[in-house]
Amino acid sequence: MTRRRDKGAALASLIVLAAVTAAAILAPTLSPADPVKNDLLERLTPPMWNAGGSAAHPLGTDTLGRDVLSRLLYGARVSLVVGFVTVIISGAVGVALGMLGGFYGGWLDDVLMRAGDVQLAFPVLLLGVALLSVLGPGFGNLILVLVVSGWITYARIVRGETLSLKHREFVEAARALGALDGRLIWCHLLPNVWAPIAVVATFSVARTIIAEASLSFLGLGVPAPTPSWGAMLDEGRNYITTGWWLALFPGTAILVVVLVINLIGDWLRDALDPRVERGI
Amino acid sequence: MSSFLLRRLVHGVFVIWGVVTAVFFLVRLTGDPSAFLVDQSATREEIAHVRHLLGLDRPLYEQYAAFLVAAPRGDFGTSIRDKRPAMALVLEHLWPATVELALAAALLSTVLVVPLGIISATHKDRAADHVSRLASLLLQSMPGFWLGLLLILLFAVELRGFLPAYGWGTWRHLILPAVALAAAPLAQNARLVRAGMLEVLQQDYVRTARAKGVPERSILYRHAFKNAAIPFITVTGLSLGFMLSGAIIIETVFAWPGLGRLIVQAVPGRDFPVIQAGVFVFALIFVTLNLAVDLLYAAVDPRVRLS
Amino acid sequence: MGTVKRITSWWLVSGIIALATATSAAQTLDGVAIDPDAELVVAVPDDTTNMDPRLGMGSTRSNYIRQVYESLVDVDAQGKPMPGLALSWKPAGDLAWEFTLRRGVTFHNGEAFNADTVLFNLDRMFRKNLDRWGVKDVTASTSFEKVYPTVTRWEKAGEYTVRIHSSEPLPNLWDVIGREPLVPREYAIKNGVEALNERPVGTGPWKMVGWKRNDAMRFERYEGYWGPPPLFKRLRFQVIPEAGGRLAALRAGQVGLVDAVPPLDAGVLGREPGIKVTSSAQKLYCRIYLNARPKDKFDSNGRDGLFIDPRVRLAFNFAVNKEGIVQKIFHGYAQANASPVATVSYGYAAQEPYAYDAKRARALLAEAGWKDAGADGVLKKDGETLTLQLLFPAKHYGQGFDETTPAVGEMLKAVGVQVVIKPVDYGMLIQTVTKGTLPYNGGFTACRTSNNLDADDYLRDWTAITLINWAPYPAELADLYRATRREVDPQKRLKLMADLQRRVRDWAPVVSLYQEAKIFAASARVLRFAPLMDLHMDFRGVALRK
Repeated sequence: MTRRRDKGAALASLIVLAAVTAAAILAPTLSPADPVKNDLLERLTPPMWNAGGSAAHPLGTDTLGRDVLSRLLYGARVSLVVGFVTVIISGAVGVALGMLGGFYGGWLDDVLMRAGDVQLAFPVLLLGVALLSVLGPGFGNLILVLVVSGWITYARIVRGETLSLKHREFVEAARALGALDGRLIWCHLLPNVWAPIAVVATFSVARTIIAEASLSFLGLGVPAPTPSWGAMLDEGRNYITTGWWLALFPGTAILVVVLVINLIGDWLRDALDPRVERGI
Repeated sequence: MSSFLLRRLVHGVFVIWGVVTAVFFLVRLTGDPSAFLVDQSATREEIAHVRHLLGLDRPLYEQYAAFLVAAPRGDFGTSIRDKRPAMALVLEHLWPATVELALAAALLSTVLVVPLGIISATHKDRAADHVSRLASLLLQSMPGFWLGLLLILLFAVELRGFLPAYGWGTWRHLILPAVALAAAPLAQNARLVRAGMLEVLQQDYVRTARAKGVPERSILYRHAFKNAAIPFITVTGLSLGFMLSGAIIIETVFAWPGLGRLIVQAVPGRDFPVIQAGVFVFALIFVTLNLAVDLLYAAVDPRVRLS
Repeated sequence: MGTVKRITSWWLVSGIIALATATSAAQTLDGVAIDPDAELVVAVPDDTTNMDPRLGMGSTRSNYIRQVYESLVDVDAQGKPMPGLALSWKPAGDLAWEFTLRRGVTFHNGEAFNADTVLFNLDRMFRKNLDRWGVKDVTASTSFEKVYPTVTRWEKAGEYTVRIHSSEPLPNLWDVIGREPLVPREYAIKNGVEALNERPVGTGPWKMVGWKRNDAMRFERYEGYWGPPPLFKRLRFQVIPEAGGRLAALRAGQVGLVDAVPPLDAGVLGREPGIKVTSSAQKLYCRIYLNARPKDKFDSNGRDGLFIDPRVRLAFNFAVNKEGIVQKIFHGYAQANASPVATVSYGYAAQEPYAYDAKRARALLAEAGWKDAGADGVLKKDGETLTLQLLFPAKHYGQGFDETTPAVGEMLKAVGVQVVIKPVDYGMLIQTVTKGTLPYNGGFTACRTSNNLDADDYLRDWTAITLINWAPYPAELADLYRATRREVDPQKRLKLMADLQRRVRDWAPVVSLYQEAKIFAASARVLRFAPLMDLHMDFRGVALRK
C-alpha cells in the first residue's frame, strides 16, 4: 500500500516538475514584464492582492522596480539549467573516472581516491567561494565550480561497484571470449552501474539547486542582472519586514522544486534497487 | 588494529597537507591584498612598498617553503587585515562561537533523531509517521539559509524579539542558528533511523524476542537499536562534518562571529594567512572526525578491521 | 556648649543639604535625572580592523579610533575645525606652521602629552627616524612622505609649541597634520607598535577595556580627560552587521543607539514612540569614474580611454537623474552635488547643479561625434559603439549603492549608451585599477570619503596617477590646482578653489552620483546625541536617562 502511495506522490512530483520546466521555457511569453529593466518609480510595490499592488505586477516589484514574477520565471531557468547541466557533466566525469579507477586500479585509482579525499575535506562552500573569487562570477564558472565539487560522489559509487563487479563470472567469461577492455566497460559494467547512479544523480540535482542558491546568496552565483532565486533571496533579506514578498516567493520556489525532485528520487530508489544504501 | 590506525593516520596527514597546499596556491591566484591597505590616492610605489612589507614580492616557491617550515609550529603568519597572528584569530573565532554552534546543532539533531526515528518506525503508516515524514521531507528540501530567514521573521520580528535575531552572547542567541543548522541533517537522519529500525524490526530475532514475551521497550532499545547503530554512527559522524560546512552560511545569516564567517570575510579581503589557517583547522577537524568514525566503525564491526 | 553643638549641627545639616543638592544637581541634564554609571550600547555594522591610526582610518575605523585617540585639530557639529590637542595653529612665515599645544593633557596610562609626543608622531607619519626610536614600519594607509614630499622638517619651540617647515608654501598643512590621531611616544617605544593596535592608549575621553573581534568593543570613561569627562561610565560598540538586526535590537531595548539606519526604515522608525531619528550629511561621495586616460597612461593596447572627451562625460552627468536617486533610493537621505568637493568641507563652493536633461545629453554627445544611433538605439561614431563596461563592487558600500548602479545604467541606456554592468568583488576592482587594466571603454562606481576638513583632499584626486585618477587634469587645471596649493592668503585661496571647482564641474572628470547622509536612531533614554558631519560619533555631552 505504501508503494502505491509513493508512486502517486512521485507522479504528482513529476507533473509539478514538468510544469516548472514548461514555465521556465515559456518564461518570455508568461512574464508580464522585462525581468532586467529597472524603473525606480515602481520600486517595492506589493503583490496585487495587497493594498498598493497592481495587476501589472502580480507578485510585486523588487527594490529596483523589476517585476518579481518575471524574475521568478527567468530564475527558474537558471536553477534548472545549472542543476541539470552540472549533474550531467559531473556525472559523466565522475562515472568515467570512477570506472577507470576501479577497473584498472593501480596508481590511477590511488590518485583519484586521494584527490577525492582531499576535496571532501574542503568545505564545499569554501571551495566555491575561493574558486569563484579567482575566476570571477559567471554562468560557466559557476557550473565549473559545482562540477568540481560534485564528481566525487559518482566516482566513489561507481568505483565501488566496478571493484565488486569486475571479478564476477559474466565479466570473466566475456574477457575469456576475448572482449576488449572498452567493450567490457561499456557493455558489461556500465549497465549494472546506472541504477544507483540514477538515484544519486536525482538527489544531486536537488542538492545542486540548493548549492547554487547558497552561492548566489553569498553573492557568488550568476552575476546580476540575470535573475536567480538565490540572488533574489539575498536581495530580499534586507527587506524582510518591509518587503516580505521579495524573499518569500523565491524561497518557496526553491522549496517546491527541491521537494518534488527529492520525492522523485525517493521513488526511483525504491523502484530501482531496494538494496541500495539508504540515506544517500 | 594498530596498523589500521597507523594507516588511517598517515592518510589523514596526507589529506590535510593536500588541502593546505591547494589553498595556498589557490588564494595566491585570487590576487594581491596590498592595494587594500592603502588609500585610494595611493601610487604604484606605495603599493609596491606594502607588498614588500607583507613579504608577497618573494618568489612563490620561497613563500611556500617558508610556510611549510612555519606551519607545523602553529605559525600561519599575521593576518593582513587585523595585524594579529592568523592562527590566534582563527582559534578565537572557532572557540567558542563555531564549536558552540556545531555542538548545539549536533546535539539537537542526535538527541531528537533517535526518538523521532523510532516513533516513526513503530507507528508506521499512521498519523505520527506521516507527519514526521512530511516534516523531514520539507526540512531536507529547504536551503538552510531560507529556514534561517523564516525563523528570524517568525521569532524575532513577528514575535517582537522573543528570540534575538542576530549576534552572539547568551544561550538565547544560540537557539535559532542551531535549529537552522540542525534541521536538514536531523530530517535526513530521522529517515535513516526509521529505515534502519524498520529493517531490523522485521528480523527473526526480534520476532523471537517478542514471542518470548520480552517487553517491547527492551526489544526496541536493546536489540533493535544496537544493530541499527552502525549506519547511524557513520551518518552522525558525517553530519558533524556537514555541520561545519553548513555553519559557514548559517553564521553569515545570523551574524554569528564564528570561523565560517571569518573565512567568508577573509576571502574577498584576500587575507591569505587567515584563509590558510582557517581551512587548515577545518580540514583538521574534518579528518579527525572521519578518523573517529572509522575507528568507531572498526570497533563495532570486526569485518572492517580486516579489510 | 549648647551653642557650639547648635552651630556644629547647623554646619552638619547645611553641609549635608549642600552635598545632596550638589550631587543631585550633577545628576540632571536639562532637568532630567541622568545616570552617571550607565552603559550605552551602540549597534554598529562593522568591527574595526585596527586601532593604530597609521594603519588606516576609513569611516568605520575612525569611529572606533577617535573614541580613544585624539588629534591636534578637532571638529565641531557643523564640520568646522576647532581646537583639539592644539589650542591654536597659525602660519609662521610662508614656509612653516606653528601649533600651540594644550597643556595638562595626559594619556590613559598617565604619560604626559607635549611637543615630544607630536614630534614622535610626525616621525611615524613621515617614516623618519624609525630606527632611532626602535619602532617598526607599518603598512600605512597614507604615506605622508609620498603625498606631501615638500614637508621637510619639524622641531619644538618650547615644551608646548611645534613648528613644521616645508620647502613650498602649504596653506592646508594644519588640516593635513592636524587630523591625524596622536599616539603616546614612550608607550609605543616601550611596547612596540602592536600595542597601539591591541591595547590602545590615547588621550581621548574613552579608554578601551575590552575587544572581542567581530563582536564588541568596550570602553570606559577616562576620568583624567582634559575636558569635561563623559556623562556616563561605559560605552559598548556592538557589531550587528544586518540593519534589520540593529533595528530589532533597538526596539527590544538591547541597544540605545543605532548607526547606519537604512533610509527606508528611517521614516517608519521616526513615527515610533520612544525612538528618535537624526541624520547628518556625510563626506562619503559616490561617483562613476570613466576611463579618460590618454593611451600612455594605462594598459590600453594603444587606445585612449573612450571617455577622454569632456563633452561625453558632461553628457553622462546630464543623463543621470540625480534627484530621482536621492528621493527614490535614499528617500531624501542623500544629496546631489555638482562640485567635486563634499558639501561639508572647508572651501566647498556650491556649483550649478547638473540638470536632468536627456535632450541636452544627446546634443552634447552628438557634438562629440556620437550621433548615428543603430537599430538598437546605441550611439556610434566611426564604427565604434558607445559602450560602457561598468565595474561595480557589489555589497561593498551598502544597499543604496548597489541599487543606484543598475538604476544609473538604465538612465544611460536611455540616451543611447550601451551599459554592461559587471559586478566584481572589491579586491578585483582594486587590482584592475591599480594595474591599469581597466578596458578602454571601462568605468567603475566607487565612493570616496575624507578624514580631512579642507577641500584640497578632494581636489587633488586628479593630479597624480593613482587608483582613482582616470581623468588626469589638463595643463590648465593642473596649474590652477598648484596655485591653490601655494596661495597663503586664505581669502585668495578660497577664491582660487572656488574657481577650480567651477572648472572641474564643467570638465566633469566623473559622473557624480550622490553624497550620502548618515542616519542614526536613538532610544528616548539617550539625551543630547547629535551626529557629526565627520566620520565618527562624538559622545562628549551625551547622557543617559536614569
